[in-house]
Amino acid sequence: MNALTNIPSDKRQRVAITGLGIFCGAATNVASFRQALSGNTSAIGTLDLFDTSDFPSHIGCQVKGYDPLNYFDRRAIRKLSRADQFGLIAAGEALDASGAATFYSPYDIGVSIGGGAGGMFQSEQWLKSHLAGEKSEPVLLRGLLPDKSATEIALRFGLAGYQGTITTACSSSATAVGWGADLVAGGQQKAMLVGGVDTLSLLTFCGFNALKVVDPCPCSPFSLGRQGISLGEGAAFMVLEREDDALARGAQLYGYILGYALAGEAYHMTAPESSGSTAARVMQAAIASAGVQNDQVGWVNAHGTGTPLNDGIESQAVKQVFGEQVAGVPLISTKALTGHCLGAAGAVEALATILALNLRIIPQTLNFRGRDPECDLEYCHAAPRACAATVALSNSFAFGGNITSLVLGV
Amino acid sequence: MTRMSNDIVISGYAAVTAAGIGVLPLLDVLHNGGDALSAVPADIPGGAGQRWGRALSFKIADYMPPLKARKLDRCSQFAVAASALALQDAGVVVADMPPERIGIILGCGFGGIANSVDFLSGYFKDGVNGLNPMLFPNVVSNAPASNASIEHGLKGPNVTLIQRFCSAEAAFMMACRCIQEGRADIMLTGGADDLTPQMITGFAATGQLRRYASSFGEGSGMLVLESAAHAARRGVVPRATLEHISTLGLLLKGSETEGFCRLLEGSEGCDLLSLSGTTALDPQLMQQLPDVPTLDIAPLIGRSLAMGGVAMAFLLASLPAGQQGLHLAASPEGPYYAIRFRGGASVQP
Repeated sequence: MNALTNIPSDKRQRVAITGLGIFCGAATNVASFRQALSGNTSAIGTLDLFDTSDFPSHIGCQVKGYDPLNYFDRRAIRKLSRADQFGLIAAGEALDASGAATFYSPYDIGVSIGGGAGGMFQSEQWLKSHLAGEKSEPVLLRGLLPDKSATEIALRFGLAGYQGTITTACSSSATAVGWGADLVAGGQQKAMLVGGVDTLSLLTFCGFNALKVVDPCPCSPFSLGRQGISLGEGAAFMVLEREDDALARGAQLYGYILGYALAGEAYHMTAPESSGSTAARVMQAAIASAGVQNDQVGWVNAHGTGTPLNDGIESQAVKQVFGEQVAGVPLISTKALTGHCLGAAGAVEALATILALNLRIIPQTLNFRGRDPECDLEYCHAAPRACAATVALSNSFAFGGNITSLVLGV
Repeated sequence: MTRMSNDIVISGYAAVTAAGIGVLPLLDVLHNGGDALSAVPADIPGGAGQRWGRALSFKIADYMPPLKARKLDRCSQFAVAASALALQDAGVVVADMPPERIGIILGCGFGGIANSVDFLSGYFKDGVNGLNPMLFPNVVSNAPASNASIEHGLKGPNVTLIQRFCSAEAAFMMACRCIQEGRADIMLTGGADDLTPQMITGFAATGQLRRYASSFGEGSGMLVLESAAHAARRGVVPRATLEHISTLGLLLKGSETEGFCRLLEGSEGCDLLSLSGTTALDPQLMQQLPDVPTLDIAPLIGRSLAMGGVAMAFLLASLPAGQQGLHLAASPEGPYYAIRFRGGASVQP
């Protein structure tokens, strides 16, 4: 693929979504995720993947009862991290739904993934044994870095085009989706498998607990008394093609990646900039890149972690973007359903946004505890809401001040 | 925004490597023979008899106050220093530009792993009392790019990529797209890697010290990209012009010829070749390459996942004006990158 091919801006094609796949704590396929989004039940519960007894919080959104033998043979399981496995399952569902992989040359189909802790769950077991002076299995280190999932997916499904992994913490997979859409829109690839994968690990559980930003109760974005995040895990993928190519081969269209924008706040590694000005700039730039007007955006799927800082600042940023219209643009968070899936969060939430747009609903922000005066927008705390809008925004913010906003449409 | 494909120029570059600070020490190593590798200390488990490319002469105090630097992991320190040097080389004064028009997209291999190991080791040894919250912010592999953006005030696009030994090339390609799309006027791009004793132990455990991690290296190579028109407005003579990028994720068995054609089309006339990643270890790929002078930095300073930033800077420093340079990067099983440049003002001050 020639990455510098120029497509005049007036000839750039809309990027259509022709396949969806998901495997996370809230749902293990698209059909069940669609149901979960329409409902009012959080999937956050007690964790049993590792011992949490030392911590104030014992909950998260884990893929419970997962048996890899239901999906892979023993030889494959030995070589694949939990993240690789989740990624392969969700990618397979998206590719099956799309049919693109059987239509184009393998060299014209690429994979763009957002990753996080990668195979840390396995690798930290190696470290624990090593520190204890015990013999440990070197194979546990194979998936340490998050790029391995992209390679495993490319190898398994024969995707020989672009292969890359974005690692900007919690905005990784939103950026991976946007970047994949760029490669399709510009004609560098006929199709892209885009998404993200991340799994629970001691590293992230210990880390966020050490920062005291884990809520002992299921996270309650934008609520009074919220104390922080609930961690989640999973993988979500979409297949992207140019609209004319997808229509020509008779593919089902689930929606569009209309645009995106990204930036760094250049402020602090963990704290968001208090004015929300960069977040507002990125949202506005994303809307402009999509070629839509602010009043066409029906709602925003927030980063909405449930930390006291994030939710207030994100609300302020959304006000800056929508001004007097803000009362008509609900800001909701699906993290109260799925937990915070970190490197996979952007993809999980992009998928949630597309499914909700198709259902013509705005999902409920679950786990409401009371109205916070600092969060004075509409958050759909009471119930999902019917909505005729065909365009929505999905925000992802991250450690390091990385911000990405996607504009999705149907 | 639409731009011509040859509209992207490289207006500056910098390197921090085992050879020293800047590209010139690396050129000296090449011209004088030998290498900049050193012996891995014998007390590092698995490291006996091994060599590595540690950047021993690097001192972060030359680039930022030591107290501030203490909060940064070593990989971030490389990125902060190399980006400062590259901006200086390109004549970019960030304060004179809208900060949201300058971004950074960086390839990073094991960035964050050192802090992850230290953080988890505290927990495994002492339970929750052993957890040091100061370590956790830098366990993410985007810490180097983000710390560089914080230090230099870069508020444009900010991304970190990893894809095996082609991590810097993946970043380079995305940074080019940011210039093409008009998302930024100036983009810093390249790679940053650190190398720790724990990594040597891990490489030894997995057998990689006898394979791709033999003589591993560390450091950072950074390039400054902008459009030719933007460089002209600044009165800057480009060090090189970008001509072409191609990439493949895999070389599929049975259709390798098609893959090589897609990757290397138009490369026949190149005058100078740069090898990165595991290209030199891939005989099938090496057979496809033109018989021209070749630069291979891995034997000089060590191989690493985001070494492509240094390799591209080295190529551009060595590429005479008007000549074409081909940078080729590969990883075991892929991906592969072929990036062509046309030499410009190649002498680094």
